[in-house]
Amino acid sequence: MSGILIGQSAINVLLLSGVLTIAALGFSIVWGVMNIINLVHGAAIMLGAYVTFIAFTFAGIDPFLTIPISMVLLFGLGYLIQRNIINYVMRAPMLTTFLLTFGLEIIIINLAQFFFKSDLRAITTGYSGSSLTLYADPAANSSIEVPYIKLGALIVALLLTLLTHLLMSRTRLGRAIRSTGMDKDAAQLTGARISTIYALTFAISAGLAGAAGSLIAMTQSFQPGFGGTYTLYAFVIVVLGGLGSVPAVFLGALAFSLITVLTGLWQPGLTQAAAFALLVIMLVVRPSGIAGKAFYQ
Amino acid sequence: MREALRQNRNVVIVGLIGLGIFALLPLFGLSGFAYRTLTSMFLLIVTAQGWNLIGGYTGYAAFGNVAFFGLGAYATGILMYRHGWSFLPTILVGGLVAAGYAALIGLPVLRLRGHYFAIATLGVAEATREIVAWWTPVTDGAAGISLPFLKPITLAQNFFYYLALGMVIFGAFLTWFIIRRKLGYSWIAIRADEDAAKMLGINTTVSKVIAYALTAFLVGIAGSVYAYYNSFIAPEEVFKIDRTLQAILAVVLGGAGTIAGPIAGGVLFQLVSTFLIFSKPFGIDLGQFHVTIMGIFIVLVIIFTPRGVIDLVTRSAREARRVHADQAGGRRSTWTFLKDGARATRLILAQNRQQFKI
Repeated sequence: MSGILIGQSAINVLLLSGVLTIAALGFSIVWGVMNIINLVHGAAIMLGAYVTFIAFTFAGIDPFLTIPISMVLLFGLGYLIQRNIINYVMRAPMLTTFLLTFGLEIIIINLAQFFFKSDLRAITTGYSGSSLTLYADPAANSSIEVPYIKLGALIVALLLTLLTHLLMSRTRLGRAIRSTGMDKDAAQLTGARISTIYALTFAISAGLAGAAGSLIAMTQSFQPGFGGTYTLYAFVIVVLGGLGSVPAVFLGALAFSLITVLTGLWQPGLTQAAAFALLVIMLVVRPSGIAGKAFYQ
Repeated sequence: MREALRQNRNVVIVGLIGLGIFALLPLFGLSGFAYRTLTSMFLLIVTAQGWNLIGGYTGYAAFGNVAFFGLGAYATGILMYRHGWSFLPTILVGGLVAAGYAALIGLPVLRLRGHYFAIATLGVAEATREIVAWWTPVTDGAAGISLPFLKPITLAQNFFYYLALGMVIFGAFLTWFIIRRKLGYSWIAIRADEDAAKMLGINTTVSKVIAYALTAFLVGIAGSVYAYYNSFIAPEEVFKIDRTLQAILAVVLGGAGTIAGPIAGGVLFQLVSTFLIFSKPFGIDLGQFHVTIMGIFIVLVIIFTPRGVIDLVTRSAREARRVHADQAGGRRSTWTFLKDGARATRLILAQNRQQFKI
């Protein structure tokens, strides 16, 4: 393996892990605080991608500027879903919420298929093809490249991760969310309206999924069913990093990207199998993940 | 045995009537479409009965059962296509391959609980699909395997119909046989409190692995039959996660941890599903919204009857009988009984909706 290949792979790992962190962050928060495996998450990512696609194609808005739009829209949708549907089964066994979110996911995906059609969509901006050359080796005619879009996506992702971390750790709302996650009945006794807290938690998660969708829309083509894959990725990332904190999600995404990129170099057909094999080993050997804790903090 | 029959008299009677109807139905002539719908329904019920052992009785929410379906299908596919086996022995091989695989992965994975078990099994299923798609020399990869057709078509229709119906009976009998024995009680004890079960001297690991292997056997034989029935298998199709979820849904719909639950749930699921595609209420073609409505159906069922439809019906009937017995004579018509039943159902639905609310 040449130095350039190693360098390019390292850059790819970093670029991939930024977007994956955002894609998994909301999933991790909902799981950690509300004990829900949220299968709607991938559908929310998909909706975020379509918000960006529509805003870019029909209104000509730059994809990076559509991120706040999809975050706000998905935030609202997430709030409504949790408030009016999932809150009714929050005290039921885990299987119930799992199946409920599965039902919601297929509703959203199939409505999206009806309204947006199943065609593959892609977003191509003026700066889509261009990239920053970090290092070039004219003799071997190869170089280490960083596409501008992926660089921008990485910066946005890191920024949003930092903001979420601050929101969860420094603000009154974040404290209320974390205390509800630790003990919902105790939180209720201290005056937290937990039905609202849950709705806000889910809304934050959906908003982050919307941002992830906007970022993913810029880097790959998509159709209404693509979100499910990201739900699975989010599973693996959260288990690898561990439940319980924002930085853990980033570590998980980094580990996941590393496996994906390395397996991709060796056997492109087996990237998911490798990721899931590692997931199972991790669950059995160290269920709390690389940096996980019992609850959110 | 007699005691058990007496206690569940109504369920047994309904079951025998249902069995009689389904056994005689082909004699009155079925369309090709009806054959397909009913045979798929039976196979769904068998996978649901399989999930019921690990998910319903043992309380482990397995989300990767489609791996066993796919392995069963590929065992049949490979043996018939490459090695020229006849069909029937491959069913047994398919079931055993799936059961062996389940025992192998069950040993580490069944140490996990709750969400972690669910996700680990989901991960195993996804990884299995990818490996099958990648291992081209044996499985022909993503291109899939075409199996020979069974001819003539009327023979094939009846053969698969009765084979699948027989497997439903086998699944129900297997469940009934086990849950009245020590093994079955150990599963229920594990579901109630695994640590307590261990303290009582139950070898929980062995119990759980057997439950998982039997689950896999039932799901595997369903997959085997599906392969020959469909005469084409491909990784994307036989390892589709929807198959796992449909089976779970059928169990939850009917009632988890009961013998009749998966059957009632499977019938209900298939009826609603088929009705939605092919009826056109008020002249509206719902075909393109079929899956959407299926999702709405799931959401409503989960919120309103978290314990399943059988539980709702039996509780309503019990309540209506109670009210009925209290009333003075003269009003005891079937009509008032049904009205009381409807009122009781409404009440239970309202209670259910409040039960798990936050």
